[in-house]
Amino acid sequence: MKGWRGLAVGAAALAVAVTGCGTSTDGGNTGNSGEPKTLTVWLMDGSAPTTLTDALNKEFQEANSGVTVKYEVQKWTGIQEKLTTALSSNNPPDVIELGNTQTAKFAAEETLLDLSGDVSNLNGGDWLGGLKDSLTWDGKQYGMPFYAANRTVIYRTDLFEAAGIAEAPKSRDEWVSAIEKLKAANAADPEFQSLYLPGQSWYALLSFIWDEGGDVAKAQGSAWAGALNTAESKAGLEFYKKLVDTSGTTAPKDADEATPQQFEVFAKGKVGMMIGLPWELGSAVKADPTLKDKTAAFPIPSKTAGKTAPVFLGGSNLAIPQGSKNQDLAKGYLKLLSSKKYQDQLAEAGAVPGTSKDTAKLATSPLGKALAASAPNGKVTPTTPAWAAVEAGQNPLKDMLTAYLTGAKSLDAATGDANAALSKTLGG
Amino acid sequence: MTAVHTTDAGVPTDKSAPRRAAPGGAKRRQGSSFDRLLPYLLLAPALIGILWLIGWPVLSLFVTSFRKLNLKELTRGEVVWVGLDNYTSILTDSTFWEIAVRTVVFTAVVVGVSVISGLLIALLMRQLSPVVRIVLQVAMLLAWAMPLLAATTVYQWIFDQQYGILNKTLVKLGFDDFTGYSWFSTGTSTLAVIGLLIVWQAIPFLAFSLYAGVLAIPRDQYEAAGIDGASMWQTFRAVTWPELRPLMLMVSFLSLLWDFKVFAQIWAFKKGGPDGGSTTLPVYQYLEGISKSHFGVAAAVSVAMMLILGLLTFQYLRRLIKQEGAL
Repeated sequence: MKGWRGLAVGAAALAVAVTGCGTSTDGGNTGNSGEPKTLTVWLMDGSAPTTLTDALNKEFQEANSGVTVKYEVQKWTGIQEKLTTALSSNNPPDVIELGNTQTAKFAAEETLLDLSGDVSNLNGGDWLGGLKDSLTWDGKQYGMPFYAANRTVIYRTDLFEAAGIAEAPKSRDEWVSAIEKLKAANAADPEFQSLYLPGQSWYALLSFIWDEGGDVAKAQGSAWAGALNTAESKAGLEFYKKLVDTSGTTAPKDADEATPQQFEVFAKGKVGMMIGLPWELGSAVKADPTLKDKTAAFPIPSKTAGKTAPVFLGGSNLAIPQGSKNQDLAKGYLKLLSSKKYQDQLAEAGAVPGTSKDTAKLATSPLGKALAASAPNGKVTPTTPAWAAVEAGQNPLKDMLTAYLTGAKSLDAATGDANAALSKTLGG
Repeated sequence: MTAVHTTDAGVPTDKSAPRRAAPGGAKRRQGSSFDRLLPYLLLAPALIGILWLIGWPVLSLFVTSFRKLNLKELTRGEVVWVGLDNYTSILTDSTFWEIAVRTVVFTAVVVGVSVISGLLIALLMRQLSPVVRIVLQVAMLLAWAMPLLAATTVYQWIFDQQYGILNKTLVKLGFDDFTGYSWFSTGTSTLAVIGLLIVWQAIPFLAFSLYAGVLAIPRDQYEAAGIDGASMWQTFRAVTWPELRPLMLMVSFLSLLWDFKVFAQIWAFKKGGPDGGSTTLPVYQYLEGISKSHFGVAAAVSVAMMLILGLLTFQYLRRLIKQEGAL
């Protein structure tokens, strides 16, 4: 039985490959015709729990007889190169997951299928705003939001209690005073850091700039120009410096939160707070299981008391490559995934679901609550194909932070230089 | 490709084979046409291999440099010819020239320092007692065997702002200014650290090669120089240098090729930062090609790099060929 199925799948793949070479317009008449087909799905490492994908693939195969889902998990490292190669091949995957900051590049280069006509079919009313922005290019939608996660301030409840901080800060001022209290309470330990904040944690900077009402870049027609030299952006940068100075963090000023991994530093127990993603807390708890019961999180507070600051919405979109041979099947797959059942499972696993506004399942843990509270206020980096080069190349925001924090440049010079560099990258 | 193959196999067979048999008059061996063809047939696989592995990529690089090849063209297999657009766009970009000059200066300094250090160590090795020499050689071998990125990581730790052993040592020695000193705040100091790493990685090979050259110099020449009352510097100039010169040219040439295209260390350190201050041509090429997916522009940068390298090594190549002839 098993051998027969393998043969059938192989024959199907061959048939698809052969017919695919000849014509490019026969993607239309697919469906439940019973003809054996293979739907190749590429999801990223750590994005959806296997319980979800197993159930999803099973249900999809049962609903579409003769269809086999070839589910493959890809690594984030080097994914841009791998996708470039896969998309230029004759037989690309049918469903792919893209980081939200990468999506514009792939959409603008016309490598993704325009899904504007299917938005309502894919639960479009409940799409997460920040992710929807990231997959919209030229007024058209080139994907479906998958899930998002954002940074919150992860803190040690036991240290907060010991320092006499009754509740989690709800404004910037309260945050700064919490940092001071923690610092004073642990003054005896020279290695203690009330807040671990490396110099190039630029996603955190984005929050502060947006909170001040500024932005990284502004669209001027179809072109983008840097907006880092505005008063709002400068105020955001100054608040970053205030955090670094007040906390006296000894984190390197010329590295980001990944060198060294900030969760490793946090897990050593000499850090009161860090601005991090859910997985970073997960990794810290894995390194030191005792942290599980003495950590919680609060949304990055706004300068307006009681509000949360806008946060960078990191996450993924799902898209169908232009060259996919099973476009209708792929759309069906997305439709199934966008249903509430699977979105709830995503939320349960600790992510903000992309096509559901119901975050009840998420808000069961302190970290999930903080995530759910700040996600509606999530924003993304400029939706331009050139943005991917900012992150994959030399990031001017990082240079700006290091130069200003180390005193190598004045506020005006640092923002001015970075703005010029950013405008150049976005313009070319 | 096929056109290239046929000319290789076809040209020499008819013309040169009979000519070689003729001059002696006496027929040394009566070869069938197969026998005459045989040497070329034996050479053919290697030739085809070389052309396939080296000739084809270079050709395809040239062709690509005249095309617009972004993600869109790549995924859809479109061929868009843009003539010299890629070249004009990089040549009119002032940062390209800045980076080109930086790359040439960086390469020159690194090659100079590493070759001279290698020479000094080679000369030192001759004077050392066998035990010390073996210790030195083993130490150099270990440095040489160290993987590129592992060595880079170690250097990053040494120069780390907070926890680096260098800053800590300097502070212990009384230089308090180095508390939390950032070695990577400017492009020049970043390149200086990277240059140090590259020199450190290059010295073992250079020292071993030159030491082999030093060993080949006959001892009696030094004895003669000693009897004539030559000073150390005079001995070096009159005895060691003339013997080592061809080898020095050779290793400098090799170092030039290696150091000009260094990428991994620079990228691993600061991605060519801060503010692009340690960006060299290979990094620029990566930024254009891989980060921005402008493969046509990146190909044009490669061609420009080949031209610059050709200009730099032109004299070397000429002298190298001359010396080969003289030997």
